[in-house]
This record gives sequence, structure tokens and C-alpha cells, in this order.
Amino acid sequence: MTHQLKDGGQVLNVGMLARVEGEGGMHIEIKDRQVVDVKLNIFEPPRFYEGFLRGRKYTEPPDITARICGICPVAYQSASTEAMETICRIETTPEIQLMRRLLYCGEWIESHALHIFMLHAPDFLGYESVLEMAKDYPDVVQMALRLKKAGNDLMELVGGRAIHPVNVKVGGFYRMPTVAELEALRPDLARGVEDSLAAVELVAGFDFPDMEQDYTYVSLRHPDWYPLERGTEIVATSGVRFPVAEIPQHIEEFHVEHSNALHARFDGATYFVGPLARYSLNFDQLTPRCQEAAVKAELGETCRNPFKSIIVRTIELAYAFEEAVRIIDQWRDGHPPSVPVAPRAGEGVGASEAPRGTIWHRYRIDDDGVIQDAQIVPPTSQNQASIEADLRLAAQQWVDLDDHSLTHRCEEAIRNYDPCISCATHFLDLRVVRDGAGKPADAGAGS
Amino acid sequence: MNAAREASLVIGLGQPDRGDDAVGPVVAARLRDLVGDSVVVLTREDPTALVQTWDGYRVAVVIDSVLTGAEPGTLTIRQAGAAAEPLPTHAFTAAGRGGSHAFGVAGAVELSRTLGTLPEQLAIVGVEAASFDHGPMTDPVIAAIDDAVATVVATLARGISALTESEAGSCA
Repeated sequence: MTHQLKDGGQVLNVGMLARVEGEGGMHIEIKDRQVVDVKLNIFEPPRFYEGFLRGRKYTEPPDITARICGICPVAYQSASTEAMETICRIETTPEIQLMRRLLYCGEWIESHALHIFMLHAPDFLGYESVLEMAKDYPDVVQMALRLKKAGNDLMELVGGRAIHPVNVKVGGFYRMPTVAELEALRPDLARGVEDSLAAVELVAGFDFPDMEQDYTYVSLRHPDWYPLERGTEIVATSGVRFPVAEIPQHIEEFHVEHSNALHARFDGATYFVGPLARYSLNFDQLTPRCQEAAVKAELGETCRNPFKSIIVRTIELAYAFEEAVRIIDQWRDGHPPSVPVAPRAGEGVGASEAPRGTIWHRYRIDDDGVIQDAQIVPPTSQNQASIEADLRLAAQQWVDLDDHSLTHRCEEAIRNYDPCISCATHFLDLRVVRDGAGKPADAGAGS
Repeated sequence: MNAAREASLVIGLGQPDRGDDAVGPVVAARLRDLVGDSVVVLTREDPTALVQTWDGYRVAVVIDSVLTGAEPGTLTIRQAGAAAEPLPTHAFTAAGRGGSHAFGVAGAVELSRTLGTLPEQLAIVGVEAASFDHGPMTDPVIAAIDDAVATVVATLARGISALTESEAGSCA
């Protein structure tokens, strides 16, 4: 829908941005062919999770925070368990860490397979949705469903449920899967490695807009492997690195009037978390096959084009399948599922790499293990400023497109992030205001 | 014809801890005690899983919570099989409806239709929900469970009859 303003400007409303999780709004204002204002309006009401965690027991956050999101609950469980175990000065066993990593592989597979093929690929192949894409690319869609099912099966076995796992607790798990149960999943996971590596070639062949951004990339890093369920430190392309415990000293949350989700600054500046940051800061930790796939995709060890996030995400998908197979192959029965965790007063931070970027939790508990303070910072909140920066650049770069085409390009720029607005807080209403020499809209856009 | 094709399928869709969304799994659990081996009863939480779950079955019924604006506890039946009219695409693209990342039951049905994996007889039995908040189901939905179980059984029987009639017709 297009509105003509009294001053000659125009407002274009897109009823809904499809293929994202959650609801929000976008306002773009253009005067004399210059983008003068961009706002990501997240108007979904605050969900008060941090508030109602206060007064709860230290054992409860893995189950409570997992309900924040249906697509990345393990990210919340991992960050909260790590924070509590840090506060209580508990080291779990290597086997518990390994099983947490396997569960996290399941979440990455579920989330990445859904976004790459069913939500993001239609942008590059010129379809409104995967429904239309499936008519011309049935094999790709069948493969996507197969990959996602492998992730669901893994989540169901290790986590107890495909969505909102129930088998995670502070100190480990309630039950460990058996070798026999894991072996039953192995063939589909092994096939997933090959399918996803082949998919890297497919997505690398898409036509990518020429657009690069230079904001600071931030990611977890672990000395031994590509970061998923945990890391030992935060690293940034600015050269800054510090232990996970120091995250609150570097990341400041702040409120902006147009969003119900807090924005964030990293050492005072806009930053980016997510697959592009993870990849660019941890390329050396990828498996040889994933590195080889990246080289064949002509990606380089650093990727600055947000539209190419689909390639990076597909490489990460292959990595998650490889990791899952590796962990299953070395698993033996008989490991205790958890270690006891007694409460101890203190404050601590836990962080993990959700499919769409670094998530961190900070808790303060008392001697009885009652939560006194809680802070939950999901990736989409942290990325709001970089989404706005991308939108500003995209709108300026393609300012001469008609409103329908410009709107579509801006939606693509948003989907590059696989944003989870539900995590930050649903619906995205895109508004473009044109004034001065801006081209008149020749098509209303809506969904 | 493989074994799966000879069986009929009921899927209880929903999340057991999200208020009235639990009605699908709850009705499925009740059905397991009522139906014989010829009916496979499953539960699923993720709508994308439907596309592969019903692939190979000729008759399937999905029981799910719905929001249509009717009184909570109201039952609706929507035919969605291979010969039925396509479901409205807005039900697929609308953000946040029915599943994560906007992929709901309608999306699963229409994607299956495109891929040729849709059961010949598929019906969606809906129970009008009042709340999807964490916690138990609401009273109107709890009160509708017996009727929902009976409706799923009757819908399944109609689907099997329709299939039988169509096969008889094609032989005539």
C-alpha cells in the first residue's frame, strides 16, 4: 500500500515481511534520493523473562529461557547452564560437554536448513516463497526437508523433544542417549554432510548483490573447535579479545524509542554477531572439507557481503553434520548424565553461538540459589543497529528502483540476518517515505 | 503398495506445555487407546515435519488447535487432501502463525501438494483455542476433548470410506 504525504513524500506499507520469525516494523525515509532515516521498529510487547526469573531457583533458567524461542531453545539452555555452573564453580565432564555440543548441532541443523532453503533461497531464485520454489526445485526442497528432519531427530533424541528440549539441566542432562540410539541416526547425519556440502555449491552459484559492510564482527572463540555451545573468549575483528566473563564490561544495552528490544553497543560502536562473524573469526577451526567447500565457493576467509550469509550458513550446516557424526563415532555408553551442582552466591556469565549469533546470559544468585538478577541478550537484539545499517546502505544503493523492487531488496537485506524478532520480542511492516526527487511508487507491495 | 500405504494416520500437532496447543497431543494419546494397529497415531510439534510424516499414507487426519474467531472449544473440519481445494496461501506466509518462521499447517499441506506427497484423503480437525500461554489447557478446550476424539475417529472413517468408494468406482 502506498500513501502520498502532504509534503510530497510517500509512505509504502508492506503488510507483512514473510519468512522471518516474529513481528516488527521498518521505516525508511528518502528525501531528494537520499536515505535520511531508517528505523527497525520492534513493537512486539516486552516479554519480561528477565523480570520473572528473579526469585526463581538457579536450576530453573534452562527450562524457562528455552521457552523464549521455538527455533533456538538450545542456545538459551547452553548459555544459562554455563552461567550457573560458572557461578557455582562446577566443571562438568568432557562427555557432558560433548553431548551438549551434539544437541547444539541438532539445533543448528534444524535452524540453518529451514532458513537456507525454505526462507532465504527463494529470494535468490526469484520466488515469493518455498511453495512456488518447490514447483521448479522439488529435489532441493525434498533435500531441505530431509536435512531438517535429521536435525529434528537429533534434538528429539538428545533433548527429549524436537522443540523446547526438556532433557537439559544445570550440571548436564537427565539422561544420556545410548550408542545404539545414536547409531540409528548416523546414516541420515552422514548423508547430511554430503547433501549440505553439495548445497554449498548450489547456493554459491546464486547471483549476489555487490554490497559490503565494515562493522565490527564479534564471536565466541574456542581453542579447540568452531564455536557452538560455548567458547572460552570473545574475539572481534577490531582486535579486541577477552574472557566470556567480561562480556558485560564491553557490551552495553540501551533503549531506543522505536524498538521494544534493547539495542547494544560493543565498546561503544555498532557491531555484528552471526554466521558471517563466526566464520570470519574462526575460519581456521572449520574442518578441512568445510574449508575446501568455502574455497570452491570463492568465499575467502573473511566475508563482508551480508547477502553471502547464505553460503556461510550452508558451510556451517555441513560443519554441524560433520560434528554430529564425529561425536557419535566416539560416543561410549556408561557416562554419568550430570554432575551435582550446589548453589553458591555470586554472579556469572554464560554464552553460546545461537544459529543467528552470540547469545549471552548474566545471572546473580544468593547462597540459597535464588536468582537476584538476570540479563538475557539474544543475537537479534544485538544486531538491530547493523540491520539498520544494512538497510540504509541497501536503500541508498538501490534508491532508483521502484518502490516494489526497493521494498523487496530491503526485505532480503533483513532476511540475511535470519532475524528472530520473537527472541528480541513478530510481523514486520515496511514503510518507505519518499520526498523530493524520489521516484514515485508505481506499485504497491504487500503480502 | 507398502505397509505405510495400507495404514491410516492420525497426527496430534502441538506443544504440550503451551496451553490449548496441547489439545492435538492429548487427543492423539486418547486415540492410541481406542484404535487398532491399522491406525498409526503420532504426535508432532513442528509443522514442517508434517510433509514427511504423512508421505506414503493414503488417509490422514491432523488434530490441531486453531484460531478462527469462533467460540473456544468449537470443532472445525477442513478437507485438505490431494483432490481438495488448496488452502489459502496467506495462511502460509503470515508471520508467526502455526509454527516457527511462519511455517504452519497450511504451508505443510501446500508444499506437500506441490511435491506430490499429500495423502489422497487428508482432513484437519481444528479445536478453537483460547490461550497459547504456558500452562494447562483452558476449560472450554478440555470440555471439547471427548467430541474431538469422536470427530477424529469419524473423520478418519469417512476418509477411508471415500477412498474405498473411489477405488470401487474406478474398478467399475
